[in-house]
Amino acid sequence: MASAFAVPPSPPAITPLLAPDRANGAALRAALAYVVGGLGTFLLLGLLGLLMRLDQGGLIVIPAAWFYRIMTLHGAGMVATILLAALGGLAAAVSATTHLNARVLWIALILQLTGTSFVILTTLVGGFGAGWTVLYPLPGHGDIWPLSAAIAMYVGYLFLALGLLVYCLHMLYALARAHGGLTNVLALRYLFSFGRDTRRTLPRPPELIAAVISIDGIAAAAAGIVYLIPMFAHAAGVTSVDALFAKNAVLLFGHTMANLSIYVTAGLVYAALPSFTGRPWRTTWAVVCAWDLIIILMLANYSHHLYADFAQPLGLQLLGELGSYAVALPSFIVTVVGALTQIYRSGIRWTIAPTLLLLGIWGWVLGGIGAVLDATIPVNQVMHNTMWVPAHFHTYYLLGAVAFAWGYLFYMVRELTADRNPRMLRVAAWMYGIGGAGFIFMLFVAGGNSVPRRYAVHLPQWQVYARIAVPFVILLALGLAWFSWDLGTRFLAAWRGTQSAASEP
Amino acid sequence: MIEPKVILDIFIILGVIWTAGCALVVARSGRAIPLEQLEGAEARLRMGLLGGLGAGAIVLFFLTLHWLPYANTRRAELGSPAVTVAAMGMQWTWILSRHQVPADVPVEFTVTTRDVNHDFAIYDANGRLLTQVQAMPGYTNRLVYAFHVPGTYTVRCLEYCGLGHHMMTAPLTVTARPK
Repeated sequence: MASAFAVPPSPPAITPLLAPDRANGAALRAALAYVVGGLGTFLLLGLLGLLMRLDQGGLIVIPAAWFYRIMTLHGAGMVATILLAALGGLAAAVSATTHLNARVLWIALILQLTGTSFVILTTLVGGFGAGWTVLYPLPGHGDIWPLSAAIAMYVGYLFLALGLLVYCLHMLYALARAHGGLTNVLALRYLFSFGRDTRRTLPRPPELIAAVISIDGIAAAAAGIVYLIPMFAHAAGVTSVDALFAKNAVLLFGHTMANLSIYVTAGLVYAALPSFTGRPWRTTWAVVCAWDLIIILMLANYSHHLYADFAQPLGLQLLGELGSYAVALPSFIVTVVGALTQIYRSGIRWTIAPTLLLLGIWGWVLGGIGAVLDATIPVNQVMHNTMWVPAHFHTYYLLGAVAFAWGYLFYMVRELTADRNPRMLRVAAWMYGIGGAGFIFMLFVAGGNSVPRRYAVHLPQWQVYARIAVPFVILLALGLAWFSWDLGTRFLAAWRGTQSAASEP
Repeated sequence: MIEPKVILDIFIILGVIWTAGCALVVARSGRAIPLEQLEGAEARLRMGLLGGLGAGAIVLFFLTLHWLPYANTRRAELGSPAVTVAAMGMQWTWILSRHQVPADVPVEFTVTTRDVNHDFAIYDANGRLLTQVQAMPGYTNRLVYAFHVPGTYTVRCLEYCGLGHHMMTAPLTVTARPK
């Protein structure tokens, strides 16, 4: 058998972001709109997070009804906008070698923004506050929000699911057309021949990853629609819904949506890091195996959210635990070790983009440690729905996926403007990292002290954790403000950098 | 039972090890060498991690089977329940069939809800979460637990259930077993 780590037949060159003659300029403009729109909304939603921590620390008082509306908007909005930024980055990376139809990307973006608008309006204006998980039957039992607000939330989610579906279907179509079929994009012959069948050129890692997450994205969108149809029927008074079925469906949707962000942005590391280390990141058998496995493993472990639902069949509970352990292995062993190998003795110059990419690797694994602990059933018994849960997902969101996305945006701007990112910006990255780490560490400490999550009012003995976190959140916000200021001054130049030579004056 | 603070300690230890590993790589990121020189070491590292972490995960999985919180496992560990408490959640209160239970005997809580999902979570007097189960519409979940320290405990809702979620508590008193 050939070595699993043998050098594969993929071209070893480092692919520039801009295709020859800027042929992918239109797709890059759409991608920039995704990334900037996603990260811009992330900034506003982050301020809502600061408000909630100020309230939980007893430093300001937010009425409970408003706290839960803000909590709902913060949660739903973050899942949608971080995924939006991630999908934009991935479209940019794929477009360098694969033709993507910019019009379809814009349609998917408009659908996603329409969905996000519904979420914003129904929470801030409609009074909806059932949490981003819209867990049946709470949306219909709010007492303080009308049924129409719940329906508007469902409509928002429907648009988000449709936007994701359009994006993923187009991505799969474009990749399959470029590589002569889906099996070639997933390198299945190469995988099952243990690296011996090298007759076809392998996809670049971002292309492979885009195919993998598009398949899971379609599954997530389908799960969302499967959940929403009975919700609409229930709202119309047509039928009641089994609570256990509803919980499984909505968590399969929500869990996969959240996980897509981290896996998509991990794909951005494959695309961007080699340009800083000067080392190509090849599509090895290990990379193919790891990412093809993710297709199944990402979907298999959602049931770890239901350990406390004792009515759930035991087999699904155990699958949740095993699946959670299993999904961590390929990510860590292949992507994380691969990224660290890229960096080790590479002579890398630590500008802001690679600094943020490394921060993302660190935060992803740190959040993963918290997640794997919580995915262990006896541990979950004393951690479920405590602050440990937001602790671990904020870690791999804020210090993982979002750090990857900001890092990739700085990489895009550098590539499109041929302008080096200022060295001083590394200070902003450190502010982001230290602020973020202090913020999430206090969430973990609160979780270790059994503080419940999703409480508008914290007991006096719980407030200390939020109070200590607040200065760290402010440091984080200052770092983000610095990012935004710098990118704001260079964005137009980057946008112009996507335009073809013919359209230039 | 597992102590939440021990889990926090484990997390901190693993986090420090991981951070040290990252710092080491950054410290050695200068002085470029060809990637080919690292490929053998990388492959060995990956195989070592696959073997070590894979074996660790399998061992951990089988160990946890003995500590499952589900009724059958708890009954096998603690014995048949001597006391049953019916608990019903509703926005935003708990209705318990009794508020006193004896120490050192298995107690079975039959937990359900009249409206939306709730989570029946028992905290001790020190604010430590001991055990929990979801209250689900249309289902009755059975939670078996034995208290060993007499005193006042608090039932909290840990599944977000609307405006009064954070106020949804009930007292539970554990009395010393008569000698």
